[in-house]
Amino acid sequence: MKTLSFVVLFTTMLSAQPNETAERGRQQYVKSCSFCHGVSADGGAEGPSLIRSASLRHDNNGDLIGPVIREGRPEKGMPPIPLSPTQSADVVAFLHAQLKKLDKTSPGKPSRDHFTRAVLLTGDAEAGKRFFNEACARCHSPAGDLAGIAKKFPPVELQTRFLYPAGKPAMATVTPASGAVVKGPLVIMDAFFVTIKDADGWTHTWPLKLVKVDVSDPLAAHRALLKTITNANVHNLFAYLVTL
Amino acid sequence: MKLLFLAAAAVIQLINAQGLNPEELLKAPTANWPQFNGDYSGRRYSPLKQINKDNAHTLTVAWAFQSRVNNLKGTPLEVNGTVYMSAPDHVWAIDARTGRRLWHYERPSEGDHIASRGVSMYKNQLYFGTPDAHLICLDARTGKELWNKVIADVAFGYYISLAPLIVKDKVIVGTSGDSADVPHFLEALRPETGEVLWRWNSIPEPGQAGSETWPNAESMKHGGGPLWITGTYDPALNLMYWGTGNPHPVLAGGGRRGDNLYTCSIVAINPDTGKLAWYFQPSPHDTHDWDAVETPVLFDADFAGKPRKLLAQASRNGYFFVLDRSTGEHLLTENFAHVDWTKGIDKAGRPIPDPAKDPQPEGAFTRSPAAGSTNWMAPSYDPDTKLFYVNAEEGSSMWYLLLDPEKKPEGHQAGATNTFWQQTHLLALDYQTGKPKWTREAGDGRGFPGILTTAGGVLFSGDVAGGIFALDATTGKTLWHTYGGGNFNSSPITYELDGKQYVLTCVDGTVYAWTLPD
Repeated sequence: MKTLSFVVLFTTMLSAQPNETAERGRQQYVKSCSFCHGVSADGGAEGPSLIRSASLRHDNNGDLIGPVIREGRPEKGMPPIPLSPTQSADVVAFLHAQLKKLDKTSPGKPSRDHFTRAVLLTGDAEAGKRFFNEACARCHSPAGDLAGIAKKFPPVELQTRFLYPAGKPAMATVTPASGAVVKGPLVIMDAFFVTIKDADGWTHTWPLKLVKVDVSDPLAAHRALLKTITNANVHNLFAYLVTL
Repeated sequence: MKLLFLAAAAVIQLINAQGLNPEELLKAPTANWPQFNGDYSGRRYSPLKQINKDNAHTLTVAWAFQSRVNNLKGTPLEVNGTVYMSAPDHVWAIDARTGRRLWHYERPSEGDHIASRGVSMYKNQLYFGTPDAHLICLDARTGKELWNKVIADVAFGYYISLAPLIVKDKVIVGTSGDSADVPHFLEALRPETGEVLWRWNSIPEPGQAGSETWPNAESMKHGGGPLWITGTYDPALNLMYWGTGNPHPVLAGGGRRGDNLYTCSIVAINPDTGKLAWYFQPSPHDTHDWDAVETPVLFDADFAGKPRKLLAQASRNGYFFVLDRSTGEHLLTENFAHVDWTKGIDKAGRPIPDPAKDPQPEGAFTRSPAAGSTNWMAPSYDPDTKLFYVNAEEGSSMWYLLLDPEKKPEGHQAGATNTFWQQTHLLALDYQTGKPKWTREAGDGRGFPGILTTAGGVLFSGDVAGGIFALDATTGKTLWHTYGGGNFNSSPITYELDGKQYVLTCVDGTVYAWTLPD
């Protein structure tokens, strides 16, 4: 137990340390640099973008940025910035953290922090309710399976999930030419083979030409919905579901 | 002594004869698959027909090669009995008859290791683009480095994923990158030395043609337009055709109002001078990362009853475009996947983006998968069936816009996406209508197998379920099918040696050579 808490403490320290430096650096940066270079270091009223500068991109632990902070760039109108070596190192850490945050090879999934209920809520809940009654009420009920749904998921996850609650496997019934019928979650089926799991968790595969396969897909209605729903109805439905 | 000298000279002669004369690039690929697309046209069609509709069901493994890297995502070359294959940081020479390794070049590097699409060959040299945006020239006999040239600054996220294009006495290479707002370019180098001969910038300078499609100089400085996929070339017209990537920042279009030329464009460029002859923009003002880099495929065929020099592209935005490649005249725009991001097609044949489908703070729902309706995997055009084949994706997605506290785009992506269920299909399109003549379901999810067609009437590709297959190119009927034990994320090639036709497919890190039984 003691060892475990030590490990937890140690890893927390390791991960917190650079963040703390960068956070101190951010505060220092806001005080000393943001007036010219903008709060996100992407350029401001007077100064150029730092995150797009070769000096920052080639900087290694302040070897290029440190001297610029200390000595300024008088020829370009930048005065020396009176920071202690620690403060300067903190600012450099913040700038590198900004680079890391802004250089992204893929947009990724929407984060809960940015995409809050207040940001996402643009639809008309009444229209959403009408749409729900037409399109969803056959399988779902606000008082039944969807009761309290808005509390179960962060808003941005709810917005994805109500359109397509991925992860529910289709169920397959496989009828061989002779022998018992086997039912279970479908693992994969292509043009040649079908693979399912049986009740005991064992995997079975058959060539399709030897069996008859019936697939019941619990997400079929959602797949159909994805092909017809409009952007307006996505937002209306969301506005209704967050009231549940 | 003299005799020995003569013998040595003869050996050198013989070795020189093993290299690749650039004239070979003008021929149809039979004994060799000497460049990324087999030939300059981008059709990925081979005149070989030993493997045909009647015997394809008997295909068997000739050999397999274990690269011991995770994923081969390129197209191998085969020249004079040697296969050349690459992955980020790696190039291999493999005996094309046995699959035995001849040499292995390895150079660890920083930078994005997403893919290496292949190497290219000129005489005795190979050209290899790296994750840290160098172009490296190797001796094809030994894998020894002959020169190594920095093309762009890796600190700004530049790298090189494409196989360079060899045109006459030039190596043409373009930059990739998708992590920072930087402008991209195409460059021609002297094969012997790496000396830069010309550069074409995807994004114009203020005052140049195309600059009127950007709001200001600042937006142009960071505008993007990377080159991800090797271009094609028409020797008779002396024009190269390249597709360019999307503008930056990727999902936030507010700071770059306008068409944003020459991003998401098909550009015709003179290989001698690097000058733009014409352009067509499949995606004006893209805000979805749906680049237009997919191979501009060149073929000569009738269009509306008139013989034409055509260029066709199945673009990532879901539309199939046909142009006259002499002039860039637009002939056809037809969606090959479901799309709802447009308000229609303009007079020039370009889709008109619907601003309501741009990424929004509250999310915007669109009827395309987030990654678009196709991608870098090679399409193919078969002059016998007159069909254009493409692996296409159907799905839907949500698009979110992310601005910083100053209301400026946050970072390079400036947004987020969610993709819902998606499906892949192999489509055989009638090039005159853009409508499928047949469709083969390739499974749920995304797959990246390229397509090869052959004069044997056989099409080779793969599917999302791990399948490798040969289809009847006319009907789509399966002739042969097997499993490669992983993801088929490469594009197949074929060549004939000692009277035997081989087909190569790369699955994860393994190269399989398929052939008919003796």
